[in-house]
Amino acid sequence: MSEVLTLDVENLSFRYRHREEFAIRDISLSMGSGELVLIAGPSGCGKTTLARCVNGLAPRSYKGELKGSVRLQDQDTSGIALSKISQMVGTVLQDPDRQILGTKVFSEVAFGLENLRMERQEILARVEETMEYLGIAQLRDRDTHSLSGGEKQKIALAGVLAMRPNLLLLDEPLASLDPASAQEALNLLRRLVDEGLSVLIVEHRVENVLKISPDKVMLMELGRVSYYGEASGLEHAADYREVKLPARMVMKLAGAAGAVPEPRLRVNEPEAEPAELVQFEDVSFEYTKGVEVLHDVNLVIRRGDIIGVLGPNAAGKTTLIKHAIGLLKPKSGTVMVEGKNTHELTVAEIASTLGYVFQSPSHMLFAPSVSEELAFGPTNLEHSPEQIEKEVKEAIDIVNLSGMEDDPPLALSFGQQKRVTIAAILAMRSKILVMDEPTAGQDYKNYMDFMDAIVRLPNFEAILFITHDIDLAVVYANRVILVDHGTIVADGAPYQIMKDYQTLLDSRLLPTSLLDANLEVFEQSQKFLRAEALAHYFPTLD
Amino acid sequence: MLVAWKYRERKSLIQSFDPRAWLIFYGSFLVGSVIFWDLRILAGFLIVALFVVFTSGIKWLEMRRAWLFIGTFVLFFSFLTFLTGRGGSEFYDVEHIIRTIEAPFTIFGWRPTLTISVETSMFAISQMFRVFSLASMTILIPYSLNPAFYGVTFRGLGLPDKIAYAMDLTMRFIPTFGRDFQYTMDAQRARGFEIEKIRMGLFAQVRRLAPLIVPVTIHAIMGSEDIIDAMDLRAFGIGPRTWYQQLRYRRRDYVLTVIAALLFTGSIGLSLLGVGKFWVPESLVNLVEGL
Repeated sequence: MSEVLTLDVENLSFRYRHREEFAIRDISLSMGSGELVLIAGPSGCGKTTLARCVNGLAPRSYKGELKGSVRLQDQDTSGIALSKISQMVGTVLQDPDRQILGTKVFSEVAFGLENLRMERQEILARVEETMEYLGIAQLRDRDTHSLSGGEKQKIALAGVLAMRPNLLLLDEPLASLDPASAQEALNLLRRLVDEGLSVLIVEHRVENVLKISPDKVMLMELGRVSYYGEASGLEHAADYREVKLPARMVMKLAGAAGAVPEPRLRVNEPEAEPAELVQFEDVSFEYTKGVEVLHDVNLVIRRGDIIGVLGPNAAGKTTLIKHAIGLLKPKSGTVMVEGKNTHELTVAEIASTLGYVFQSPSHMLFAPSVSEELAFGPTNLEHSPEQIEKEVKEAIDIVNLSGMEDDPPLALSFGQQKRVTIAAILAMRSKILVMDEPTAGQDYKNYMDFMDAIVRLPNFEAILFITHDIDLAVVYANRVILVDHGTIVADGAPYQIMKDYQTLLDSRLLPTSLLDANLEVFEQSQKFLRAEALAHYFPTLD
Repeated sequence: MLVAWKYRERKSLIQSFDPRAWLIFYGSFLVGSVIFWDLRILAGFLIVALFVVFTSGIKWLEMRRAWLFIGTFVLFFSFLTFLTGRGGSEFYDVEHIIRTIEAPFTIFGWRPTLTISVETSMFAISQMFRVFSLASMTILIPYSLNPAFYGVTFRGLGLPDKIAYAMDLTMRFIPTFGRDFQYTMDAQRARGFEIEKIRMGLFAQVRRLAPLIVPVTIHAIMGSEDIIDAMDLRAFGIGPRTWYQQLRYRRRDYVLTVIAALLFTGSIGLSLLGVGKFWVPESLVNLVEGL
């Protein structure tokens, strides 16, 4: 007798109600127990729609037309209620904040079991067992909203695993995690697969998932499958500009294609004695009395800096930056922006010097069209109408949103919204650009493209970005700051900071294949390069 | 993600009861204080409310903002009632005027006049006592009810599973909304938006508030869709559910429930008998008449 497939998708197409085009077309995929499948592709390729068809949200919550079939444990899901499907497929969403319902960790993990009407004693036993298994038993009595990103992700996973599904479906589970937490999550998934669970993971950080050896990889593009097969075949199928592949694979592909660029990103040469734009002097801060989030921070942002701020979840990175824009004022010490104390400046006054792109687009988008959204900042700063028109147009070009000027920002995809938020700040022409997790929710090609465009702009005197993505700092930063436990633990040139793996590991940062390769040839290159450009120094790979 | 109110465990009168018992008592207290208009009875309610506040163990610093907001609101409206004399006129036929103050100007021939009578004054004071009692008891709830038990508390009060869980979510929606509002405010201030600078007509003002109102509303809608998906994905609503948490009714909870029942039936009974109507002290009337 043949084994019952955990998941069998046949010729699946789905069209959302109110949309003319199908979001996915003719997808076929099958998984047995203990298999790990990775689905990758750029934003809007249909990965999430496929995931919604598998977990039943489409067409139940997301209405539309579904063609083809999805079978779970040999049952066609078309006639089955979502509650029944949810017992077979456990879903972990991209952002655990959007999934966690319980006030306390224990009640969050118990939620699904309560809904299945299990006996109280069994619920208690299963929750304890699941938390023990995931190594999070110590979190049982914590408030869910006080947890770090990595902890939240594990709690979301626990809540799903406690229901003992046959298939675990994860939609970009690494997006909000620091590198060490992401690696821990991946190791955990590998362990679950080895113990017989089927895992379907949707992720565009292909490089990270390849480390845990998926059985199969599916690449999607414009709603269709462009590759489905073993991970080793990716080299020939994937476009290294679209998905993030391991550095050596990229070098090989770029070398073979004769597309090895010489990246010389910064237009301005560093000045001998650059002007000081922002100064932190012995800054300390606490949200609740007695719990310091920043301690004695000293930092100077100078003209010409492109700073990558790295550090684990909840290290104090965002709190630090909110001091520079004046949204938070230090409890002790001073923050000076262009020689003026932030205590004496309003946020709006600082905004013309320092533009801050917030993490979440949905907290700031409001206008009926992209153009009006972008004009909001410069209008507040009292720029002239002609100037605003020029600024808006330029910002739209940089983030690749041309043609969408009249679209309502709120109707765009998350990735596009993120780009609108960046453009909204670009249009303000502040001297310093600060971006908080600019790559979150973005696909690889998009964020590399806009980062390329931003660092080339002559408008900014300094750029600062907070990120979990070490490679973003490797490629773009000329200075790296490591923040941990509310202090700056390292500050210097990227090579000086990143060659010390122990310091990185202490801050929950994991060296990447791109960093490895850069350090290997640093004596010759004398600077960090992107993978394509590194091919110069690794000719043997061809 | 929903955040909870700033609850913490305290050794206090209110927290020594089962949350179900306290909510029952709270309900009866509301009914009682709304039924009566007699200042002497309302003073009793206020004393009980203040006693609960002072034994709640919540520091002034923790509650300051809530008190300032509600306090200003209550004082403002009581003062408005006092100025206009509106709202209470159905309770009395004769007014004993203490003083009439006429404005030294007219508006289109109408001269604004403030009539201070024993009745309008007593009415404003009675109303202030009542609203302060209600506010005091209400402010305490988010600080004193463990958010982890919201759902099981409402279930325990007899609400169906779905409604009990919806109540749990709703209770946490308010602080979440506050947090989201702050995020949006910060994000827009970073774009040079200054709410203090909005000085225009009413419609223009509302329009200028769109950068705050739209994201907060959209976020709330998106947030509720996420919650629905997250609940669906974990089999919520397929039938009756188990609540793994358990609450225990102890002797003192039964006592409080009996008190609540007596308060409820007593209030309704007495008011049917005509007790507790609007009261004006005879001595005050005599005093005014003697002037």
